[in-house]
Amino acid sequence: MKKSYIVMLVVIGIAIGAVMATLSDASTYVSFEKAGQHKGKIYTVIGQLNRDMPMDFDARAGIFTFFALDKDSNVQKVLYFKPKPTDFERSEDITMKGYMTDTAFIADEILLKCPSKYNEQNKLSESNTYGE
Amino acid sequence: MKYIGEAAWIGEAGRIFTSLGFTSAIAAAVFYYMYALGRKSENLQTARLLLYIHAFSILSVVALMLIMLTGHYFEYDYAWKHTSKTLENKYIFSAFWEGQEGSFVLWMFWHVVLFLIFALVRHRFEAPVLMVGLLVQAFLVSMILGVYPLGVKLGSSPFVLVRELPENVGLPWTQMEDYLQKLPGFMDGRGLNPLLQNYWMTIHPPTLFLGFASVLIPFGFAVGSLISRDYKGWLKPALSWTYFAVGILGAGILMGGAWAYESLSFGGFWAWDPVENASLVPWLTLAASAHLMMIAIHKGTALRTAYWMIFLTYFFILYSTFLTRSGVLGEASVHSFVDLGLNGQLMTLLIFFLVMPFSLYAVRYKSIPDKTEDETFYSREFWMFVGALILLVSGFQIIFSTSIPVINKLIGPEGLLKILPENMAPPVDAIRHYNAFQLPFAIIITLLMAFGQFLAYRQTKALSFWKNISLSVGISLAISVIFISIFSMWKYPLYSLLTFTSTLALVSNFDFWLRIAKGKWNVSGASIAHAGFGLMMLGTVISQSNQKIITRNKTYIAENIPASENILLEKGDTLGMEPYFVTWTDTWQENYRRYYKVDFLKEENGSLVNAFTVVPHIQINDRMGLVAEPGTKHYMHKDIYTFLSYASDVQNRNSPDGYGDEMEFMMAKGDTFIVDRYFMVLDSIVANTTRDERTKDIKTIEIEAVIKILTTGGNRYQLRPKYYLDESNIVNHIDATSEELGLKIRFKDIHQEQNKLVFTTWRKLNDGPDFIIMKAIVFPAINLLWTGIIMMTLGIFVSVYQRYKSRIQ
Repeated sequence: MKKSYIVMLVVIGIAIGAVMATLSDASTYVSFEKAGQHKGKIYTVIGQLNRDMPMDFDARAGIFTFFALDKDSNVQKVLYFKPKPTDFERSEDITMKGYMTDTAFIADEILLKCPSKYNEQNKLSESNTYGE
Repeated sequence: MKYIGEAAWIGEAGRIFTSLGFTSAIAAAVFYYMYALGRKSENLQTARLLLYIHAFSILSVVALMLIMLTGHYFEYDYAWKHTSKTLENKYIFSAFWEGQEGSFVLWMFWHVVLFLIFALVRHRFEAPVLMVGLLVQAFLVSMILGVYPLGVKLGSSPFVLVRELPENVGLPWTQMEDYLQKLPGFMDGRGLNPLLQNYWMTIHPPTLFLGFASVLIPFGFAVGSLISRDYKGWLKPALSWTYFAVGILGAGILMGGAWAYESLSFGGFWAWDPVENASLVPWLTLAASAHLMMIAIHKGTALRTAYWMIFLTYFFILYSTFLTRSGVLGEASVHSFVDLGLNGQLMTLLIFFLVMPFSLYAVRYKSIPDKTEDETFYSREFWMFVGALILLVSGFQIIFSTSIPVINKLIGPEGLLKILPENMAPPVDAIRHYNAFQLPFAIIITLLMAFGQFLAYRQTKALSFWKNISLSVGISLAISVIFISIFSMWKYPLYSLLTFTSTLALVSNFDFWLRIAKGKWNVSGASIAHAGFGLMMLGTVISQSNQKIITRNKTYIAENIPASENILLEKGDTLGMEPYFVTWTDTWQENYRRYYKVDFLKEENGSLVNAFTVVPHIQINDRMGLVAEPGTKHYMHKDIYTFLSYASDVQNRNSPDGYGDEMEFMMAKGDTFIVDRYFMVLDSIVANTTRDERTKDIKTIEIEAVIKILTTGGNRYQLRPKYYLDESNIVNHIDATSEELGLKIRFKDIHQEQNKLVFTTWRKLNDGPDFIIMKAIVFPAINLLWTGIIMMTLGIFVSVYQRYKSRIQ
C-alpha cells in the first residue's frame, strides 16, 4: 500500500495544519483592560451585569447600552447594536465577543448564562423548609 | 416512619430492577465470553437466560418510569422535574428523555432491543457481539444505579425521592409523615420545558439514541473478532449493521437540524454548535469505517485501518456523550446539560473503551491479515480509502475545535497540567471557522462520490472510465453554470466549485445507476444515497451561501458600526423592505405563545397586494424566559424565514413589566411623600388575621396600607398595597397599580424600630406605542437540502436491505 502511505502522510499533514490554524483562530478570555490594550481587536470577555448602573435600550436606533463588570471588577460601558437579549436582567454571566474602542466596548455577540434548572429545585426545598 | 401517600413501591422496584439489570449484564457478558472461548453450549444457554433477565429488568425500569411519570407521583424528583398535571399525554415520552437519567434509559432500551434480535435469531456472531455489547451496557446501567459505595457517587437514579436528594436530607420537613399532603410544592410538578413540548422532541431523541445504540453492533463485531481471532468472517454481517447505524444516526442528527430550522431561532439549519458537532463527528468516521470494511471485503486490504476506524468511531460516540453530559461545554454551548456529578464515571467509560480495544488491537496487530499490494489510481478501493481518510480529518478538525473547553480543563491555567497561560476561547466566528475547513473537505468528498462508482474494484481501463463519466461531467457543468449564474456566485470560487462537485455527485450517481448498471435494483442503494448526499450538499451551498437578510438596514450609523439587520415595525405601519413592503397587522395569544401576524405586500399595478403572511411567535417560557420561534413562508424555490428579536408588548424595553424608576421610602401614618407629580399620604392601616380553627394559632396576617394620592390637578385617588404573611410565614407583596396615574406601589416591609412602613414605587415608563423588531432571511433552494436528506436516508436503507437479502441467499 505504498500510495496509501503517502495519502496517510498527507492526511496527517492536513490534521496538523487544522490544529495549528484552530489554535491561531481561537481567541482568549480576557479582561476589559487587556482588550483595551489592543483597540479594534476582537476578544471574548466574560463579565457580569452591573446592576447599579442604568441600562438602556433605544429600540429606534437599535442600540442597547449597559455596564458590565469583568472578573477584575472593572466597570465598562458596553454597546450592543442588536435588540436587548431576553432576560438580560436575570443573567448570571455575560459572555461578550467584541472589541474595545475609546468610548465603549462594542459587543458583536452576547451569550447569557442564566440561573440553572438546579437552582429552581433548591427554591422548592427552601420554601419547604419554611413549611416546618 | 411511614410516609403517608408516598408510592414508595415504584422506587423500590425500580432500584431492584436497576441492580438486577446491572449484575445480569455483567454475568451475561462473562458467560458469552466463556462460550466464545470454549464453545460449550451450556454457557450459551446460561448467557441467554441472563440476557433475558437483563432485558426484562431494563423493560421494567422503563415501565416503572412511565408509571411514575403518567401517574403524577411528584414525590419522585424525576416526575417533579419533568412533568406536571397539565402536561398532555403525548408529551410523556418527551418528559421521559428530557433528563439525563431518562436519556440513559432510552439508550439502554435500544441496546436491549438490538441484543434481543441477536439472541432470538440465533445470530452466528451472537456471543462475540453481545459480550462486548453487554459490557458497554453494564457501564450504562451503572450511570443510573444511584448508590454510594465507600462514599463515591455511582450513577444518578431516576427513582430518587425529592426528600432523598442530598440537599434535602436532614431538613425538618423530611421528618413529616404527611409532607405530601401538607407542602404545596408537591401538589404539582414543574413540568416539561415548553421549548421541548414539540413533536420533534418526541422523534429526534429516540432516533438519535437508536443511532448511538446501533453503532455498538459494528464495534462489538470488531472487538469480538479480535478476541475470537476470526479476522475476516465478521465483515459481511457487520457491514449491514454499519450501514443501518449510518442511516439511523444520520437521520437523527439531521432531524436535529430540521428542528432547529423549523422551530428554533438559531437562524438556520446548522450552527456548528458543540452539541451538534459532537454527534456529527462519529457519523463521519462511521461512514469512513463502512467504506473501509467494503474495501476489506472486496479486496482484503485496509482491514487494519477498518479496525481502528471503528474503535475511534465508538470512542467519539462516548466522547460526545461525555461532552454533552459532563457540563464541560457550559460556557461554549447554548444547549449544554446540567452536571450530575457523574464526570468520574463518564471518564472511566471513555478511557476504558479507548484503551481496551486499542490494546487488543496492538496485541493482535501482527496476526491481522493485511495484503500489501500497490494499487492503481484507476481502482475504486484506492479512492474509497482516500475518501475515508478525508472523512476522518474532517471529523478531527471539528472535534478538535469543539474540544477547546476540554483542552482548557486539561492544560489551561486551572487545568491538570498548567501549560497554557490563559484559557482558550472558542473561535470568535464559529461558522466562518468551520466552513473554512469543511468547504474544501466537502468538495473532495463529493468529487470522490461522483466518480467512485465508475471505477471497479482492482483495476479499471482508463479509457472506458473517462468515456463513461464524460456525459455526467457535461450535464453537471451545464446545471452548475446555471445555478452559479442565477445566484452570481462566480466571485466565490470555492462555493462555485462545491456547486459543481455536488451536482456531479448527484448526476453521475444517477447516470451510473440508470445507464451503466441498467437500473438494477441490487446496486441502487449506494447510488441513491450518494446522489442524495450530492443533492444535500448542493442545497446547503446554495441556501447557505446565498441566504439574504432582507431586513438589513441600508443606512449606516457610523462606519465601524454594523448596519442593523432587523426592522422595527409599529402596529399598522407599512415599511418598505426590498422587494416587499411589510406591515404588522395583528397579535394574539394562545396558552404560553404570543403570535404576531406580519403581512408581506408586493406592489402590483401601482397598488399593494398581499403576497403572503408569516406568523412568527414568542414563547413565554417561565423557565427560560422568552423564546422566539420563527414563522416561515415556504415556496418551492425558496423560504422566507422570519423571527422576532424583540416585541415591546412582552419585553418592555427597560423593565420586565413596563414600570421603572424604582424609589424606596418610609412613611408613618399621616406622613406625606412626593413622588413624581403626586402627593402621597399614608391614610390608614388595616390589619386582618385568620386563625386555625382547632389550635386558634394565627395562620395568616394581611396588612393593607391605604394611600391617598393627590395630583397637581387636584384629582384624588386611592391605592391599597398589601403585605401578606401566609401560613408558611412567607412574605407576599400584593402590589397596587393605577394605570391612570402610571404608578405602582409595593408595601415592602415594616420597619419596627422606627415604627414606619417601607414602600417602593415605580413609574410607568413612557415608551410610546408597541412595536416589534423582526429579522427576515431568504433561504433559496432549501428544498434541495430536504430532498437530498430524504434521498440519502432512503438510499442507505435500501442498501441495508440489499446487503441483508444478498447475505440470506
